[in-house]
Amino acid sequence: MNRHPLVGWLLLAPSLLLLGGLVLFPIVYNVWLSLHDKHAFMPVQSFVGFKHYVYFAHDEEFWSSVRYGLIYAGATLVLQLLLGISAALLLNEAFRGRNLLRGVVLFPYMIPTIVAVILWKWLLNDSYGLVNHLLMTAGLVRVPVAWLGKDHIMWSLVLTSVWQFFPFVVVTFLARLQTIPPELYEAAKVDGAGAWRRLLHVTLPQTRNVLFVIILLRSIFMFTKFDTVWLMAGEGGVSRYVRTLPVYAYARSFTYLQAGMGATLAVMMFLLLLVATAVYFRLFRDEALA
Amino acid sequence: MGQLSRRGFLAGAAATAAIVGRAPAVLGQSVKELQVWHTEVEPQTVKTIQETSVAEFEAKFPGFKIKQQPLGWGDLNTKLLASLAAGSPPDLTHLNPFMTASLYTKGLLRPMDELVRALGEKDIHEATLKLQFFDGKYYGVTHAMGATYFAERRDLREAKGLKAPETYDDMLKVAAALTDEGKRWATQMPGEKLYMGFVHPAEWLAGNGGSWVDAKTWRPQLNSKSMLETLGYAQKLNKFMPAGWSGQKYLDTLAALSTGKISMAYLSGARTIGYIERYAPENMRDADHFQPMFRPHGPQGKVGVSALDGENWAVFSQSKYPNESFEFLKLFYKREHYMKYCHSVPIHLSPIFKSMLNDPEYLSNARIKKWRSWHDFMMKGLAENRFLPIGFSRPEDNQLPFLAELDGSGIVADMVVEVMVGSKDPKGEADRAQKRAEELLTQLGAKRWS
Repeated sequence: MNRHPLVGWLLLAPSLLLLGGLVLFPIVYNVWLSLHDKHAFMPVQSFVGFKHYVYFAHDEEFWSSVRYGLIYAGATLVLQLLLGISAALLLNEAFRGRNLLRGVVLFPYMIPTIVAVILWKWLLNDSYGLVNHLLMTAGLVRVPVAWLGKDHIMWSLVLTSVWQFFPFVVVTFLARLQTIPPELYEAAKVDGAGAWRRLLHVTLPQTRNVLFVIILLRSIFMFTKFDTVWLMAGEGGVSRYVRTLPVYAYARSFTYLQAGMGATLAVMMFLLLLVATAVYFRLFRDEALA
Repeated sequence: MGQLSRRGFLAGAAATAAIVGRAPAVLGQSVKELQVWHTEVEPQTVKTIQETSVAEFEAKFPGFKIKQQPLGWGDLNTKLLASLAAGSPPDLTHLNPFMTASLYTKGLLRPMDELVRALGEKDIHEATLKLQFFDGKYYGVTHAMGATYFAERRDLREAKGLKAPETYDDMLKVAAALTDEGKRWATQMPGEKLYMGFVHPAEWLAGNGGSWVDAKTWRPQLNSKSMLETLGYAQKLNKFMPAGWSGQKYLDTLAALSTGKISMAYLSGARTIGYIERYAPENMRDADHFQPMFRPHGPQGKVGVSALDGENWAVFSQSKYPNESFEFLKLFYKREHYMKYCHSVPIHLSPIFKSMLNDPEYLSNARIKKWRSWHDFMMKGLAENRFLPIGFSRPEDNQLPFLAELDGSGIVADMVVEVMVGSKDPKGEADRAQKRAEELLTQLGAKRWS
C-alpha cells in the first residue's frame, strides 16, 4: 500500500514532464527574460529587475498598442458574433443545399492566413483592386478609396479577420443549436411566440453557455492575434495605425532586437488577459459554473 | 550452419563497422554542405550562380556541396537573427551594409583582407570598397551595385516644358504640374517601413546637409533643422501622391509607373526596366519614355543623394567552413562567372570592378545596349558622389553599430507617416521621434552624450 503514491507519481510523470516542458518552462523563462536586458541574438544579459515594466507603464507606444488591440479585438468579436450567430441560425433551418452551404461557410477558416490576407489585400488594393474597380464602375466613387491607407486600414483588417474567423462561431454555435430539444420551440409556438421571441426566450437562454465560451475564446484569440495583423500591415508605414500589443511585442524582440523588453510585453499581455478573464468569470459566474 | 568462432565474430564485426563507417562516404552522405544565403532572388540569377561559381567550386572541392538560399531582404534579416541566436549562422551570407557594423562590433564577422587583395583592391569601386573597413581590416565585399533614383516618364515632364528638379521647391512645382487628380499622380513612395522610414529619410538627411546622429556624441538628430525642412517638404509632396501609398509596396510603385498611374516612381533602380518591358504600353517600352532622374536637394544641401543598393558578402566567425567560403567567393568573382552574374539582371547588378564597368564585353549585353542611358546615368551619379549605401546619411555611418536597430524600431517610419499621411506638425513629431531615438540608443548602450 505504501507504494501507491509513488506509482501514482510515476504514472503522472509523463504528463507532468510534458506540461512542465511545453507550458510551464516557456512561461517561467519568459518571466525570467523580462527581468533582464537581453539582446535578441547576443548570448549576454544583465539583470534589471522590474525596470522594463516601469518603462512600459510610461511608454506611449505601449498604451497606444493596448488601445489598438482593444479596438481590433472588440470590433472583430462583435462582428464575428453577429455574423456567426446569424449564419448558424440560417444553417440550422431546413432548406435545399444546406449541407453544401455548411461546408462552404467553413472555407475561410480552413485556408491559411497568408492566403486570406493576400486575397484581401489584392481585393482592396487602391491601384488594381477589384473592390475599387467595382465601386468606380458603379459610379459610387470618383477616385479609388485607399482601403489599405491610414484612414481605412483598421477596418480593412477587421473585415479580413471577421471573414476568416466567423466560421468558428458558426460551427460552435450550430453544434449547440442542433441539441436544443424541438419541443421547446413547439411549446413556444403554442404559446404564441413569434420567431423573434423564440430567439430571445428559447435559443439565447439555451445557448448562453456556449456563447460564454465563444466570447472568452474569441476575445483571447483576437487580442493575441499576430499573424493577420502583421501580414496585413506589419512591414508597412501604415502599421502605425494597427500596431496591436502582440505586434509591438514582436517588434521589440525581433526588430528593435530587445528580447528582454519583448518578453516584458508578453508578460504584460498575459497579465492583462488574466485580469480580463477573471473579471469575465466573475461577471458571468452562472455560465462559468454551468 | 557451423558455429561462429569468437575470433570470426570479432573479425566480422570489425569489417562491418569499417563498412558502416565508410558507408556515408560511399553513399555520398558525408558531403559537407556550405550554406550560402543571398538576396538575389531572380530565378535567372540563382541559376547563373549555380551553373558558374557553384559548379566550379563543387568540381574543385568534391567533398563539398553548396546550398544557396535566395531570400528577400526582410526574410534574410529575420532568418539571420534566428540563426545567430541559435549559434548556427550560414557560412557565407549577404548583409546590408547598415547591419555590418552592428555585427562587427559584436565580434561576429571574420576579416577578409586576403580575398579583397586577391580580387584587386585598387580595382574595386570606391563607392563600395571601404564600406566594411573597420580597424584597418576588410570585413565584407559588395557583391554588385545598383543605384537607386526616381524613374520618370520623361516624355510627360518634357511635354510640360519642365526641367529636372534640382531643389525641393523645383520638385514640388514639377509634382504639381504632373498631377492630374483622378487620372495620374505625380509620384509614389513605397509604403514599406524600410524604405519610407529608413532608406528615404537617410537620403533626405544626406541631401539636406544633415545626418542621423551627431558625429562625435552619436546623439540622434531627428529634430534637426535638416530633418524638419525635409519633413515639411515631404508633407507637401504627399499631396501629389495617391492616398493609399503607405499601404502599398515598392513593386506596386513600379507597376503604377509602367501602367501610367504615376509619372515618377520615387524608388527605382534598373529592376524597373523589367516592369516597363512587361507592363508599359508596347510602343512605350523604351528609354525615350522612361528615364532615371536624380533626387533634388534641400536648402541646406548641395546635391540630391539616393541609396546605392549593394549588399556585401560576409563570413561569420561561427562559420563552419570559412576557408571554403573564401574559396567560393574567389570563384564567384572570377571574371567569366561574374560577368554572367552581372548580366543576369543587367545594370541592377553592376560590377564592383572599375575595369568591368566600361568593358566592351560587359556593355555588349542586349539589355544594357537598349537601356544604355540608365547605365550612363548611374556612372554619372557615381562620379558626382550622389549615392550612399542604403540607410547611410553620410559615408561614416558604416561605423554606427545601431542602424539596424534604429531601422527596426520604426521610430523614423512613425514620424514620417504621421507627418505625411497623418498631416501632423513636423516639429511635434520630430521631437517625439528624437525622444524615442534617444531612449533607444541609451537602452542599446550607445549613448555618448551627456
